[in-house]
Amino acid sequence: MAAFENEMLALLPRLRRFARALARDAADADDLCQITVEKALLARGSWQPGTRLDSWMYRIMRNAWIDTARARSRASETFVDAEAGAGIGGDGGAEARVALGEVEAAMRRLPDDQREAVALVLVEGLAYKEAAEVLDIPMGTLTSRLVRGRQALMLDLGEAA
Amino acid sequence: MTIEPEMLMAYADGQLDPLNTKRVERAIAGDPALAREVERHRALRKRISDSFAPVADEQVPDRLAALLKSDVVDLPVPRTRPILARWREAAALAACLVLGLVIGLKAPHGPVSGGAGGLYASGSLATALDDQVGGADGTVKVAVSFRDKQGSYCRVFSSRATDGIACRDASGWALRRTQQGSPTQHGDYAQAGSPDPELMAAAQDMMAGEPLDAKAEEAARGAGWR
Repeated sequence: MAAFENEMLALLPRLRRFARALARDAADADDLCQITVEKALLARGSWQPGTRLDSWMYRIMRNAWIDTARARSRASETFVDAEAGAGIGGDGGAEARVALGEVEAAMRRLPDDQREAVALVLVEGLAYKEAAEVLDIPMGTLTSRLVRGRQALMLDLGEAA
Repeated sequence: MTIEPEMLMAYADGQLDPLNTKRVERAIAGDPALAREVERHRALRKRISDSFAPVADEQVPDRLAALLKSDVVDLPVPRTRPILARWREAAALAACLVLGLVIGLKAPHGPVSGGAGGLYASGSLATALDDQVGGADGTVKVAVSFRDKQGSYCRVFSSRATDGIACRDASGWALRRTQQGSPTQHGDYAQAGSPDPELMAAAQDMMAGEPLDAKAEEAARGAGWR
């Protein structure tokens, strides 16, 4: 049992990085990490030893992110999102108002389905097949979201021809 | 020869099989625009990867590491429930006992039985939902137990025949969601007995608060899931 915790501990830096690519700011990202670890500890019985713990954790995190993002969009329906990149979350804590890097701001402007594909492949370095499995979508869907996300990022970051 | 944007991207990422790699290489050789596009993909990949890489080198905040270093997992905050709800529960429990007797006498065989109120677990599935500890192996495996937003106990289960989510009501384990049990449909890491991600997502939607931990589950089991 302790081995399970130790493996998760070793994965935390990567999980925090994935969370940062998904969530709107660093504080939200660490909240997401905490929720993920708690859910993983409680659902440990559903993890099959010998299979990849990282994929399993990415999947839990991604589902938790979808949940919190959904809850937040319900809670802030009247709130018009300020232009990202201005570094103003609008509803976050004061400590969350960290100036965003250009890349992080551009990531935040991507639709959720493209952002999660970009986060898994470009940030976390997963193979397409692994990313498609985490998201539970066919390869073709993954590559089409990924290519659209990248084109949007290239435009946004001024890397288009 | 036209190369779709997806294939060009996959080439840039080194994700193509040897045959398609050759195909793209031939196309690039005859079209400098394609070569530039590959370079743009690689530059973007590096830029995104580099910008998030420092996060993985940061010190993990204590509150996160502490979740895994201590043997004591914080219990979810117990919810105080209005007295009326407890009376209703007691009444429902009494009704349940009567009903349980009736159902018990009938002793159905299959894992599912139909009634006026919808589908309910029966036979070995009902027994497993009643008695089995989360995570334990068996022909039925319970992955997670939780309370839904109405306060009922629910359990995500998988078995060879059926996977699903069952919630305990006055009549028994009502099947809220079911799907065909399928041992190895999700590839390498989600093997037999591992709940389907869609099912887990559905459970997360139904869930109020956090899943039950071992202690809370034991307490719920002791109280007959009511």
